[in-house]
Amino acid sequence: MNTPLVSIVSICWNRKTDIMESLKRIREIDYPNLEIIVVDNASTDGTPEMIAAEFPDVRLIKMYKNIGIEAYNIGFHNARGEYIVVLDDDSFPQRDAIRRMVDKFERDPQLGVVAFDVRNFYDYDDVKNDAFEGTGQALGETAATAENYLLAFNGAGAGVRRDLLEEVGFYPDEFFLYWNEQDTAFRILDRGYTIKFFADVVSYHKYSPTNRSSWRAPFYYTRNAFWLIWKNYPLEMAIPLTVSLIRECFYFSMEQKTMIYLKAMVNAFVYMGCLKGKRKPVSMEIAKNLRIPFNVSFTFYR
Amino acid sequence: MKELLIIRSVSFQQLDKNLAAIAKAYPDHRISILTHEHGVMLAQKYRQVNDIYVYPYKEGFKLKNKVPVLKDKTFDVVIVPVTNITGAGFFNVLLFSLGLKASKRVLCNVRSEFKEVRRFSVLCLGLKNLAISVLSSVSTAVLAVFVIPFLPFKLRNLEKKGEL
Repeated sequence: MNTPLVSIVSICWNRKTDIMESLKRIREIDYPNLEIIVVDNASTDGTPEMIAAEFPDVRLIKMYKNIGIEAYNIGFHNARGEYIVVLDDDSFPQRDAIRRMVDKFERDPQLGVVAFDVRNFYDYDDVKNDAFEGTGQALGETAATAENYLLAFNGAGAGVRRDLLEEVGFYPDEFFLYWNEQDTAFRILDRGYTIKFFADVVSYHKYSPTNRSSWRAPFYYTRNAFWLIWKNYPLEMAIPLTVSLIRECFYFSMEQKTMIYLKAMVNAFVYMGCLKGKRKPVSMEIAKNLRIPFNVSFTFYR
Repeated sequence: MKELLIIRSVSFQQLDKNLAAIAKAYPDHRISILTHEHGVMLAQKYRQVNDIYVYPYKEGFKLKNKVPVLKDKTFDVVIVPVTNITGAGFFNVLLFSLGLKASKRVLCNVRSEFKEVRRFSVLCLGLKNLAISVLSSVSTAVLAVFVIPFLPFKLRNLEKKGEL
């Protein structure tokens, strides 16, 4: 099997313990040709100092302020690998995941993204069926697909061809947080590549939604849902989807007694100018078939 | 054995956490999962899950979307996992659960706390949400008068030049 260079790119912001554990686990990965890049979003808790001292093999790139998901783009730009693995600061691939990912890319030139099966770090090993994974070899057909719709990927574990990522322009920096994977997925699919989840390519994530501060997730998910629509959907879908989203903002604001969704909606309209030159509607087929669960935006608040 | 169905309305990451708690809280139950098609392969990895049923739609769970394979099935418990504490934003899944034959419907929140939800409560909530729905439709209609006529021009103005 070929072992081309794989670049693991992660960003972090004030999560020293989590990134330290992730980097330790990444060291245990069974793959001989890895490059690890961490972009620090101006942490003040000693994260960059810890990485520099304890993980000298990691390429650490320091930002002067928290620039959100744009930090990934800095990491992608610096990556030299043929394939890039995107991780959160509190996620890491299972020991065999990279080898299996490379195998899948090498077998299918149209495969643009290997979406990892992202699992709960704290509980997955207790509930999984060991017989399904444990061999260390790529299993047979393990793609988790659907016949009638397409899927995006999860930023806590995904492999992507570096040249493809460059071609589609990396993550949308204007989003700051959330829905960035879906925006990138639109452009990858529109280039004729596929995105597939694989059950035997696993990433562990410290799933802890209760740690999210109360306003960030609902605000950015909602605002970026508008921008996702305006950037990617053909006009005949973008207008009704916008109306539907406006209605949901009113509905869930009343249901959950919060102004956060209306604030996010207003913010989306007020700052829509930042999308100038970035709207590129995808084909109707992709727009209709890519599964985007917009209602996720309204499920984090309470 | 009693029959328990989990409607997979949350990510597998959360279900990993909830499943252990569900198995502990309902030890004498045979566990099945209802999931979208893409979730079948991923749900098969659970040791405690016996049957996996496919929700044959792209969109989220809705009362109008029937699942033929569940038409003749009866469950002692249907679990609705939610990604928050209260279940806000998951009324559609609760409503969908009313279309299933079940003795009990139970909300399982992000902390794996369980709360039984009776059919009557869901219907009452439905009435309240109907009123909210009317209000939000009126508000949207008013806003749309000002926004929608200009939106097509605005969107064309955002387009990437030279690529269309």
